[in-house]
Amino acid sequence: MEFTKMTIDDLKQQLNEAKISPKELYNTSLALSKKAHEKLNIFETIIDDFQMEDANSRISGIPYALKDNFSTKGILTTASSNILNGYIPVYDATVYKKLKEAGAVLVGKTILDELAMGGTGTTGHTGTVHNPWHMDRLMGGSSAGSAAAVASGIVPFAIGSDTGDSVRKPAALGGIVGFKPSYGRISRYGLFAFASSLDHVAYFTRCVKDSAILTNILKGQDEYDMTSLEDDNLDYTLTLNDDIKGKKLFYFKDICDPAYYPNSSDETMIETLTKFQETLDKCRKLGFIIEEVSFDKELLNAIYPTYMIISCAEATSNNANLTGIQFGPRGEGDSIDEIMLNARTKGFSELIKRRFILGSYILQKENQEKLFLNAARIRRLIVDKMTELFKTYDGLIMPASSNIAPKFNDSSDRLSEEYLILENHLAIGNFGGFPSITLPSGIVKEMPVAINITGPVFGDKDILNIAYKIEEILGFKGLVKDDFYV
Amino acid sequence: MIEKDKLKDYARKLMFEMNEEEYETLQKEFEVILKQIALIDNIKGIKDVKPMTFPYIAYKATFREDEVKQEIDAEEVLSNTIHQYQDQVRVPKVVE
Repeated sequence: MEFTKMTIDDLKQQLNEAKISPKELYNTSLALSKKAHEKLNIFETIIDDFQMEDANSRISGIPYALKDNFSTKGILTTASSNILNGYIPVYDATVYKKLKEAGAVLVGKTILDELAMGGTGTTGHTGTVHNPWHMDRLMGGSSAGSAAAVASGIVPFAIGSDTGDSVRKPAALGGIVGFKPSYGRISRYGLFAFASSLDHVAYFTRCVKDSAILTNILKGQDEYDMTSLEDDNLDYTLTLNDDIKGKKLFYFKDICDPAYYPNSSDETMIETLTKFQETLDKCRKLGFIIEEVSFDKELLNAIYPTYMIISCAEATSNNANLTGIQFGPRGEGDSIDEIMLNARTKGFSELIKRRFILGSYILQKENQEKLFLNAARIRRLIVDKMTELFKTYDGLIMPASSNIAPKFNDSSDRLSEEYLILENHLAIGNFGGFPSITLPSGIVKEMPVAINITGPVFGDKDILNIAYKIEEILGFKGLVKDDFYV
Repeated sequence: MIEKDKLKDYARKLMFEMNEEEYETLQKEFEVILKQIALIDNIKGIKDVKPMTFPYIAYKATFREDEVKQEIDAEEVLSNTIHQYQDQVRVPKVVE
């Protein structure tokens, strides 16, 4: 089997049988990194130096990529923003520390949408990240570089962060697995905060089992993150094969059936939804009970504005530490105020400034009740309704996206009602801290499409089990575009 | 339409500047966003709901041992700035 298609387990077997050494594995990955980076623009920093701690774990010797908003001591970390140009952190994020201690080998720090505030992979300060399936199409974001690194076969896994869908959406557009465990399952210490009540550590893998392996390694309480959960001491790989007969899944009525769009001219969307219905049939044959459920349409339509309000408000506050005084390029000026003003004016792109101003508007005294608190109330309504449904159902199954990866110049109306829900429902997983996984489910117009499964909070083990069984029947494990390196 | 002066005031409070063209883009964007935001006004009975600020209460307030820890050295702190004086980050005079 080619390196680009291998999972963590496949590579580990090669290492265990001494068919290849960790250094050789790293060199293969490094060579691919350089080649793919030239085509796709994946990395902020390629680590041109083999560094591996002495360890014996399921990922020791395995190369990986890390989103550039995780603090790495001694390694440039920019969050793809000019405000952090040249910033070398003095401490390690807990995730990075755990991966190092487990013997994983870092190959590169990956590009993101600036400060993780975006969903396209086009707003990082070093330019646009391309999709290996089609150079003219978006990778999606914000964890664009990490998604591209796995989708192009450079590494079997890459770490990202997910505040609205920043791992699970690009995973869908790149034909790979994207898993966001429950809120608190993994420490966020050292992950640059975007919206603290929604931020999750999440990752891209080539198969569901690899996501379970990573969760085993990364989970656990951390004294540096007060929201981190105590380790449940479960091995998530041991329950992947549990019987799923009779497990119940639901999807939102009026949204996922092509029959609801009789006048749609968007052929690809219809094909994507048709593929989703075919996937449901396959799942039913496997033994799942799948039902259509009515969910208040007003609440579903409110997902996107609720997300925007909460995330922009939290981001405005979280990024107030970026002043150019203690770190980052310093602005010119004769007073502290002038220095900060000039650093922030030069350091943030226009898009980020617009988001911050929106956040500031939301947090004005006269708007707090109407905007910020109402959004927080809707968040509760949505989460309560989902929690109620999870008493009857084991999970929500949905198309991860309404369509294949859009072209860079796509001008379709993404704020129309069907898009508003189908393109934004993944944020429900962040509102409630629910475990949520995206996995490839088909090919439409030579591009991957995917499903997403979301379950009750702390139900990570069961969601991985459900996804693992579905992955088996769909047959897209280790999907990669065959002729990418030709 | 939201007044440009208001947007300029927010920018000033956030400690950055934007040019006139950028403010005009922002004004237009605000119109779209405010329309989106209006969707949340229509939800019935919303006033009676308790706002949700975190997915769930995950943390326990516990006391840790009162141990002295050296987290980072001054040298490390200063490694990201060339503006130094003795073991501190140097800034312009604040008190005249």
